[in-house]
Amino acid sequence: MFVPHSNIDLNIIFEELKISSLDDLFAHIPDELLINNGLDVEDSLSELEATDYFEDIASLNTSSLTCFAGGGHYDVYLPPTVKSLTMRPEFMTSYTPYQAEISQGILQVLFEFQSLVCDLTEMELANASLYDGATSIAEAISVAINKTKRDNIVISSGFNPNSKQVINTLIDSKKFNLQYVELENYLFPEDYQFTDEDAAFVVSFPHYEGSAQDLTELVKKAQDMGIITVCYVDPSMLGVLKTPGSMGFDIVVAEGQSIGTPLSFGGPTVGWFATKKDLARLVPGRIIGETIDNNHKKTYVMTLRAREQDIRREKASSNICTNQTLNAIGSAIHLSWMGPEGIYQVGYQAIQKATYMKNEFKKSGFNLKNDESSLREFLVETKVPVSNVLTYMGSNGFLAGIKYSDNELLVAVTEKRTKKEIDDYLKLFTEVNNG
Amino acid sequence: MVSGGNASSLPLVGGSAEPTIRELSRPGRRASKYPKLDVPEVDLNHPAIKNEKAPLPEVSEHDLVMHYSRLAHRNFAVDLGFYPLGSCTMKYNPRFADYVASISNFSNTHPATPAEFTQGSLKILNILESYLVEITGMDHASFQPPAGASGELTGLLIIKKYLEQQKLEHKVDIIVPDSAHGTNPASAKMAGFNVVEVATDERGMVNIEDLRSLVNENTAGLMLTNPNTGGLFEEEILTISNIIHDAGGLLYYDGANLNAIVGVCRPGDMGFDIVHSNLHKTFATPHGGGGPGSGPVAVKDFLREYLPGPIVTKDNEKYDWYKPKFSIGRMHGYHGNFLVALRALVYMKLLGKEGLDTLGAYAVLNARYLSSKVSKYLPLAYDEPCMHEFVATVKDLKKSHKIKAYDVGKALLDKGFHSPTIYFPLIVEEALMFEPTETQTVETLDDLAESIKLIVEELSAPGVNLADYPKNLPVGRPNELIPAKHLTVHWGDFELLELTE
Repeated sequence: MFVPHSNIDLNIIFEELKISSLDDLFAHIPDELLINNGLDVEDSLSELEATDYFEDIASLNTSSLTCFAGGGHYDVYLPPTVKSLTMRPEFMTSYTPYQAEISQGILQVLFEFQSLVCDLTEMELANASLYDGATSIAEAISVAINKTKRDNIVISSGFNPNSKQVINTLIDSKKFNLQYVELENYLFPEDYQFTDEDAAFVVSFPHYEGSAQDLTELVKKAQDMGIITVCYVDPSMLGVLKTPGSMGFDIVVAEGQSIGTPLSFGGPTVGWFATKKDLARLVPGRIIGETIDNNHKKTYVMTLRAREQDIRREKASSNICTNQTLNAIGSAIHLSWMGPEGIYQVGYQAIQKATYMKNEFKKSGFNLKNDESSLREFLVETKVPVSNVLTYMGSNGFLAGIKYSDNELLVAVTEKRTKKEIDDYLKLFTEVNNG
Repeated sequence: MVSGGNASSLPLVGGSAEPTIRELSRPGRRASKYPKLDVPEVDLNHPAIKNEKAPLPEVSEHDLVMHYSRLAHRNFAVDLGFYPLGSCTMKYNPRFADYVASISNFSNTHPATPAEFTQGSLKILNILESYLVEITGMDHASFQPPAGASGELTGLLIIKKYLEQQKLEHKVDIIVPDSAHGTNPASAKMAGFNVVEVATDERGMVNIEDLRSLVNENTAGLMLTNPNTGGLFEEEILTISNIIHDAGGLLYYDGANLNAIVGVCRPGDMGFDIVHSNLHKTFATPHGGGGPGSGPVAVKDFLREYLPGPIVTKDNEKYDWYKPKFSIGRMHGYHGNFLVALRALVYMKLLGKEGLDTLGAYAVLNARYLSSKVSKYLPLAYDEPCMHEFVATVKDLKKSHKIKAYDVGKALLDKGFHSPTIYFPLIVEEALMFEPTETQTVETLDDLAESIKLIVEELSAPGVNLADYPKNLPVGRPNELIPAKHLTVHWGDFELLELTE
């Protein structure tokens, strides 16, 4: 399958190589290593058979749950226009644009991606993507460590627990101290005292629990101590929320799934990374620059290559090679499709609808943990175990949210949710909680 | 030439530059439309909210579609022509996998959905695990690593944690061949190991004597790809693995070159303890212009409890997540690049036993054929039978005509081919590394060899200006100094530069 050779072709090749069978190719491999009788796998499927095979497996997933889960991944409307442009085979089946002369398409879209990310976050320099939001936070911490040569990381506890696990895995706990700061009333304590031994201040905007605060003063305090400040932002809310740049952050990272990528069971998505130019040489991953060719024509090219692993090897700023380019292309096209008004609607309607939902929860007698400070995502207390709520509502067509604790559920609302879906949700939620 | 790569890879129209999406923007235009708000609108007073709108481009949908379609036309791709790109395995990506990956139950599932509602997705990972461990000769796998380099780091963190558990923390040396991919030493450094480089012998394989002299009680492990980056099978691999194991170290297999040996032999049988696979290479998932990939890590039984997790378990046809007991932690926010893994399984099911049993053989066959043809015009770096890729050198032409590997690569672009990998492995002077993959026809391979011949003649002719190549593409050689010096990385940066200079 997918090998084009006919017997005539094989004869031509065998003759050139003076061999008589495929086995002759491996005369130099020790006999005891060669596989006898082939691999223990099933026979091939035709596409028709494979269609049934995979559709059957797909049907084991519960179909189209109405999504009220967030935690970094959001069910934002993704137009077919964006999907079909992103999946153009010239983008999808191309290699990393090392050969600039035949890769101007990918290079220009990535340059536009970098520029759009900078404009949206008010930063100066973005890279061409990292794996996902969680790994991007760890990369940002590494930059802060390299810049400050300090070893204490002040990090908000208001992150997705999975992200914290990624950070704990990727940052060497023997060399560096990850100091998680508990939120107070779901906000980072404004009176927190930084020290000049801290390398980074890492905080989520909004916090994982959905609450948000203006972080300008905290950023200023941290920077006075020479600390690199890192903001993990929900990019689909940036049509409405203050930009990390306006609050003074040095580095912005994001889980970019909600901009240009379907939920995808969490992958592939895309990590965004943007910063100020004075940190340029510590940035992980690829960066595209604008230049001219030998005829003075506008040209895009990969730049600052001396940071990367294929050149610097063990001295590289990161080991990343393969990134998430196609998802970054999706982000660029989706941002351009939305425009200023579209991304405003995405954020504004999400908050309005979440506000309606929170009021309905309260009317039905449920306790909200962070009503005032939350925006599109919030914590609601359940009266029965959260896992019971998830199972009951899942069996009735709703992904109710993400389990936060045994009796707290994290609920997210996007612009896609309708009043009717919210009302139906509340009916089921009331049923399962009131028994 | 008959293979057609030349015709299809050139831009449709002219050579003028495509404006940026920002240059196409006009106030008041828009592509998007959203439903009217269907809940009562309230005043939003929140300290995190801003007053101004985001400065995004304002374009019509038609302008948007034309812009990105025109950019797509300015890009080479597997669907357009031949990438003889060593180490990258740019084979055909089956269209059918696009269909399966777009099935809504797979593509629109939130990653935090409980396992009881995602049995299908877990089943996919469970079946793919069984294929991967059979192909590589391992026992268990984790799909968290989103790319090869992340797989490498995963493997090294497993070695580290395992040695810690064995109270062998003094073992801090990771041995890496001088021919290795750059990600190997970079990953070893990230995992907190010392990188120790082992030399390559004149045949192009690990220098066994040098290896013996480097191995001691501090040896934590060896990272190796087999075939190696010279495209040669490490014939002494069993000796190598004995040397490392006898010193109490572990063997890590860099799966970048796995395509050469699928169905032929298995890393697990060679003595490797940990293997990562690049699903975007060996298992034909599209490379996406640089990603996404997927770099699942498979291990022998004794390392299962160290895998990053959770991993999928199966009990009475019911699938669930399981967090390994001594897990190194998490390498990804959720389950790795799931849709890439799904595409890889589609490819394996379409190939089936007959396709997988012969996959490596056909990849090697094409490389052996191409090397035979190319060697008529350029000397090969090693006088050994190649596996799925081979390295040629331009060092003689450099001496006689100042022609560099870079120049040959650029001239090939004009002929409708992607350049081979250049200057890699680092130990070969003026290296050109070719990997045809099993999906190219004889005619295409012949055309590439013929093009090499023509290029050698053309570039050696008197009066040739090498810097003029390529000549027939939308742009010529880029000035790489400007962006590196002036950081022109955001639109407007370059204009600003022009104004100030």
